[in-house]
Amino acid sequence: MTDSLRMSALLAHPQNGGVRAVAGPVDVEWTGVVVEISEDALPADGGGRLAILTELPPTRPWQQDALVRRTRDRGFRALAIPHGDNFGTGTRALADRLGLTLLHADRPMLLAKACWQLVEAQDALTLGYVRKVAQSIEYHANDLTDLLRHLSSSVGHGVALIDAEGVLLEVGGQLAPEVHAAIDFTPWVDLTRMPAGTAASVRVDSPSREGLRLAFFGPGLDERQVSALAVAAEVAMPAVAARILIDEVAEVSDASVSSGVLRDFVDLRGTPNPEVERRMLERGWRTTGYHLAFRTVGRNRVDALQLLRFVMGELGRISVDSHATTTGRGVSGWLTFSEPPAASQVELYVASLRDLHVAARRSFNVATGVGSLASGSAGLTTSLSEAADAARIAVNRSNTGWFVRVDGLGLEQLLLAWTGNDTFVPAARSLLAPLESGGGELLKTLSAYLDHESAIAPTATALGLHRNTVATRIQRAQELLGVDMSDPEVRLALHLACRAVR
Amino acid sequence: MPTILELAGLPALATGFELLGSGGGGATTMLELVLRSSPNWPMTVHDVEELDPSTPCLGAAFVGSTMLLTERLPGLAPFAPLIAAAERWLGHHVPVVCSLEGGGLNGLAPFTLAGHRRIVDADLTGRAVPGLDQMSLLVDGVPGIVVACDTGAGGVALVQTDRALDIERVVRASTIQAGGAGGLVFAGFTVGDLREHAIVGNTARALSIGTAYLEARSGPLDGLAAALGGRLLAEGRITAIDPDAVDQHVTAFGITGSAGEVHRLVARSENLAFMTDGRLEAAAPDLIVVLDAISRDILEVTDLSRARHVAVIQLDGPAWWSRFPHRTRYVTPSAYGLDGLDGAA
Repeated sequence: MTDSLRMSALLAHPQNGGVRAVAGPVDVEWTGVVVEISEDALPADGGGRLAILTELPPTRPWQQDALVRRTRDRGFRALAIPHGDNFGTGTRALADRLGLTLLHADRPMLLAKACWQLVEAQDALTLGYVRKVAQSIEYHANDLTDLLRHLSSSVGHGVALIDAEGVLLEVGGQLAPEVHAAIDFTPWVDLTRMPAGTAASVRVDSPSREGLRLAFFGPGLDERQVSALAVAAEVAMPAVAARILIDEVAEVSDASVSSGVLRDFVDLRGTPNPEVERRMLERGWRTTGYHLAFRTVGRNRVDALQLLRFVMGELGRISVDSHATTTGRGVSGWLTFSEPPAASQVELYVASLRDLHVAARRSFNVATGVGSLASGSAGLTTSLSEAADAARIAVNRSNTGWFVRVDGLGLEQLLLAWTGNDTFVPAARSLLAPLESGGGELLKTLSAYLDHESAIAPTATALGLHRNTVATRIQRAQELLGVDMSDPEVRLALHLACRAVR
Repeated sequence: MPTILELAGLPALATGFELLGSGGGGATTMLELVLRSSPNWPMTVHDVEELDPSTPCLGAAFVGSTMLLTERLPGLAPFAPLIAAAERWLGHHVPVVCSLEGGGLNGLAPFTLAGHRRIVDADLTGRAVPGLDQMSLLVDGVPGIVVACDTGAGGVALVQTDRALDIERVVRASTIQAGGAGGLVFAGFTVGDLREHAIVGNTARALSIGTAYLEARSGPLDGLAAALGGRLLAEGRITAIDPDAVDQHVTAFGITGSAGEVHRLVARSENLAFMTDGRLEAAAPDLIVVLDAISRDILEVTDLSRARHVAVIQLDGPAWWSRFPHRTRYVTPSAYGLDGLDGAA
């Protein structure tokens, strides 16, 4: 280990006594440190070291000039003094001219201690960091970000949770992209030192997420600081990994609770229930006001919790009170307005939800339905069920980008959506089964006939058949099905069944 | 051998005293104009050794604000009532006059008495100084000195004391009473006292460097400095004027040299010290002359303004001051309360 001391390392040291560069060269390395009360006590052979003076410097400009000059003449390359930032432009110019780095130190003794740690007492430096990590774990953290914030503020450097793609969370600074790119994700501990910044990172062993690293970073740290920080990161890592798990468990349970509350609310179908109302209010869900609900469902299997996490993140971009929770295979959510929004505003919010849907589709195979704007508790139920219906339709609507808004639906689509479920389709199949004997001609003709208001002539034109052929086929279909087609209810059922099996 | 001074030599003599003023001492213009119309040309200046050492001698000078003297012109015989008072006190005629202050306008003051008294080439400072306790006769403690000064409206104060500081204080108070500026006469000593306790030959020096300056004035600066027998310390722009936080009369001028040097000129009412790149280059009692680098005008401290292009020349101070430590103590920067500026080589 060398005894050299880098200025950048000293500036990056969290307890450096408030040292600031005032004048002179900045990217320098010193051979050591000398601490004295005043300049006349400094040794004559400075030998490229840093001189730290604890006494207040003179205030007269010529005395400050002389101080800078004599320190340089003793062979020192830098001078750190209290009130160094009071030195005037002339003295600063002189320091530049003489190549002496002039530093201001709020507390020179702390600066001396930082130098001692960096030059001679790496173990003390490491131990200092480790103790600070331990202290930060002692305090209650609300979540992972909070924990990282504790770590960063007590260690005094930036903390980031990163994966190979980028930075997931960072506190106390910004990890330069160049530094992130230079971090090797394979080894247990990685030390990265670059002109753009420095980082010490350690692999996070988390069962739920692969390839995470916890990194302490800062500009201009020297190798001793980086390796000390690596130890600190190793100590902090288990706490971070545990916190990730705790947060996930909490998230799952929170999602399941909120999902249950929403289910209970929807099941009430607008009937007031103080118990459910109370549970909703506890979650900050207001039923008063105006609501615009949406539902995003997976077109195949999706992790509803991950989808919820994503949706919650995206909802944060829409500047209105919004809530969401998991329901079934997807996520239900709604925007709440205290005043009725103008039609144009509603369009803007629907557009925002569409953006959310488009963004979600980059990571999840989902379809989204949006309900209509409705007010009050009953309105929320309505909007939510409309959204659910619309989502059900959207699952098969590639031409609308798997996004359907209930205001844009025909009644037929709605009915179809209702009927397109697992119980109705088999029933429709069995109802229409007798017609399949004729090679599907009868079913096709019957569908066309019902679509054309039960009129023979337009049906014949549409199918390119003779009127008598159509009349005969309808007659046969009636006989095979054994139904009375003059009955409107029968016609509706048959019409829906035809659509469902088509 | 006495020196005969012709009227044609007056500008050179005045210039020489301005150079010896070291940035203080006042402009000589007014006294030059007065002396030009004197009927006593050519004037004779005697060497100290030429006169009988027992001959009584007096010194005359103006005190107070030199700037005020350019606005409120002194009368035709400004020193007459003071000399009369001193002679009455002493009880005899004083036939010889010397200078009190060998720099600035006071270098010319004895010449106003030409025709009435013999002029001897000696003075009590060899440069401009702000305090009366810095007069060489008082520094060396010559006994029997009598000081007379104006108190305003034709009044005269006369002080006889062994405590130099009292002279400074009483004269200062009287001068303020007289309106800020007035005449001052020292008496009670002899030509013989001047040999040991005064700076001799300064008029000859003023004449010689004044002549040299006028000849070399338009040449290169280092040539000009060499012609004056001095050293060019700096050439550059005044980039900072920092009034001192401790003493409001002190100003530190920052001069940025042509090659980026950081110069400091520390001045009170005179230039007292000069530093380059944190190293002391010159300090009182040496003379520090500041010239306008372009017009070559000799600048007083009050003429120094930001962004002015100046040249700084060091001239040797009178050796008299350095001969004994008790003398040096009165003129080095620390005498003015300025730390860290003593001991220039």
